[in-house]
Amino acid sequence: MINPSYAVILGVLLFSVGLYGALRSTNAVRILMCIELMLNAVNLVFVAFSRLRPEAMIAGQVFAIFIMAVAAAEAAVGLAIILQIVRQRGVVYMDKINLLKG
Amino acid sequence: MDWSLVLPELIVAGAGIGVLLLDLFLAPEKRRLTGYASLAGLAAAMVASLWLAVAKVDWSLAAGADGSPVAAGFTALGGMIAVDAFSVLLKLLFLAIGLVVVLLGVDFAEKRKLPVGEFFALLLFAVLGMMLMAGSRDLILIYLGLETTAISSYALAGLLKDDLKSGEAALKYFLTGALASALILFGMALVFGGTGSTNVTALLGAGVTTGQLGGAGNPIALTGLVLLVAGFGFKLAAVPFHFWAPDAYEGAPTPVTAFFSVGPKAAAFAVVLRIFGPVLALGGSAGGAGAGGLAGAGVLGVLFAVLAVVTMTVGNLTALAQKNIKRMLAYSSIAHAGYLLVGLAVATPRGFAAMVYYLLAYAAMNLGAFAVVIWLNNRGTGDEVSDYAGLGRRAPVAALAMLVCFLSLIGIPPMAGFFGKFYLFAAAVEANMAWLAVVMVINSAISVGYYYGVVRQMYLAGDAAPAEDHGGAETGAPVPAEATSTVKGTPLVGLALGLAVVAVFALGFLFEPLARLARLAAGGL
Repeated sequence: MINPSYAVILGVLLFSVGLYGALRSTNAVRILMCIELMLNAVNLVFVAFSRLRPEAMIAGQVFAIFIMAVAAAEAAVGLAIILQIVRQRGVVYMDKINLLKG
Repeated sequence: MDWSLVLPELIVAGAGIGVLLLDLFLAPEKRRLTGYASLAGLAAAMVASLWLAVAKVDWSLAAGADGSPVAAGFTALGGMIAVDAFSVLLKLLFLAIGLVVVLLGVDFAEKRKLPVGEFFALLLFAVLGMMLMAGSRDLILIYLGLETTAISSYALAGLLKDDLKSGEAALKYFLTGALASALILFGMALVFGGTGSTNVTALLGAGVTTGQLGGAGNPIALTGLVLLVAGFGFKLAAVPFHFWAPDAYEGAPTPVTAFFSVGPKAAAFAVVLRIFGPVLALGGSAGGAGAGGLAGAGVLGVLFAVLAVVTMTVGNLTALAQKNIKRMLAYSSIAHAGYLLVGLAVATPRGFAAMVYYLLAYAAMNLGAFAVVIWLNNRGTGDEVSDYAGLGRRAPVAALAMLVCFLSLIGIPPMAGFFGKFYLFAAAVEANMAWLAVVMVINSAISVGYYYGVVRQMYLAGDAAPAEDHGGAETGAPVPAEATSTVKGTPLVGLALGLAVVAVFALGFLFEPLARLARLAAGGL
């Protein structure tokens, strides 16, 4: 069996990739995708930890399932908002969406 | 299990679904009714919370005893829900906030053609999430409450469908909010990995307080807590993480802005108190003289102190330069989050109690200020500070109410804001952190600058618009023809404003009993 610690490390790496992308991108859809990557990395960490911590196995797995459900809801609302922006101005680039500043 | 322990939450959830259904069956011109239905639901939930407070919460504990540990109240759902003094008090606050925001929103929604039913349903769901956040001891439920509030809030920010700024506010709020949620989740995952439990009480026995970053103790859980500070920093709009707040506040519909500035912020503070309060207090009582270097709680304490100082200073200094009143109030609310963080940096039961009291006071005075903005907006006044010129003559009542709320936000004696600041100040001095109190006072002095700027416009500057004086003697506000045709009056906003102003004074005059209440609430964390 693979040591669950590797899964934790993979989760941390994926989370870092997602965070980097979310901070560096200007495309709103791409930022959303990076955030989804971060959430899924967290899922991986939760499931791996629940393997490493047998006394709390259920809690970690249940948490991961809740995160999936919430991430879906979040993506739905987020895409709706992005769609509204695209309808209004036809761009998804954050540096072009700059009416509010100061 | 005893379902009556979650009765307020059940009522709010039921009201939210009910409002959505009601909206479906009502003719468009009758959709105002959904607002009244929301008011009824929130009022019923308040009654249920008061009943819980009387029947289920044990208030006898620690009455008068100074800093003595207090047993938890009831717990439900396997320890996930805590029904104690803290959660009941904050739930009542959230329901009151919801009530005032509905009052503020009914006329505004009609005038600006918001989808009325969705507006109130989303607001109720956001309040539900806030109540879950305050009443939970389990990371899973805290996360679900957080997201219930956050997802509803994203949609609320974008409710003005044809308004470019509203859409932009929603997008910015969504992207930063989702990023913050991911950070919080990663922190929770590490806390779970470090303690082996999703219950926050497990943190106390996990060696977090004695641990060092990357050293002995429990570095995994400690790293998780630091990530949680960053994630909740976004939600609180504490300074390095605050950039989204002014944009979201300016673009969102004004009643929604009023809600953002007090509701989700107060709920985030409640969660931070729940998660960090016991850990910080334990570290504080163990004494800073740890075995060399900063122990875990010391790291967190320093982190909160730095956040508090930076947040209030940057918030106040940036507010000085603002021309738009909503944006100015956004920076002002950032500054107030900084004052609130002082309570966490102090990390004593008195500091936490001061935070609870300040949350009540801040909600009242900030909602009051926004009520004036909405009142004037409904009557056709713009949102720029220069639009408020000569308001003291045109709308003496509104100008006076604004003045009262601003004086309270500055911290002038008879008002609630003064007692809140005084309480925080006393807690800081008592914990040998007088320098923090000094920074607070300097910042309060800076804040006079921008509040006074508005007051000067209202009372000393000449009239802004070619304001033709209509009759309207009681209200005094000019009533542009376009506004009169859609909204005859704004009695509901007036009612909300009245409630807020009364609360600003009442919270001040009732400081003694309320401080004791806050003390009991904070003791049960």
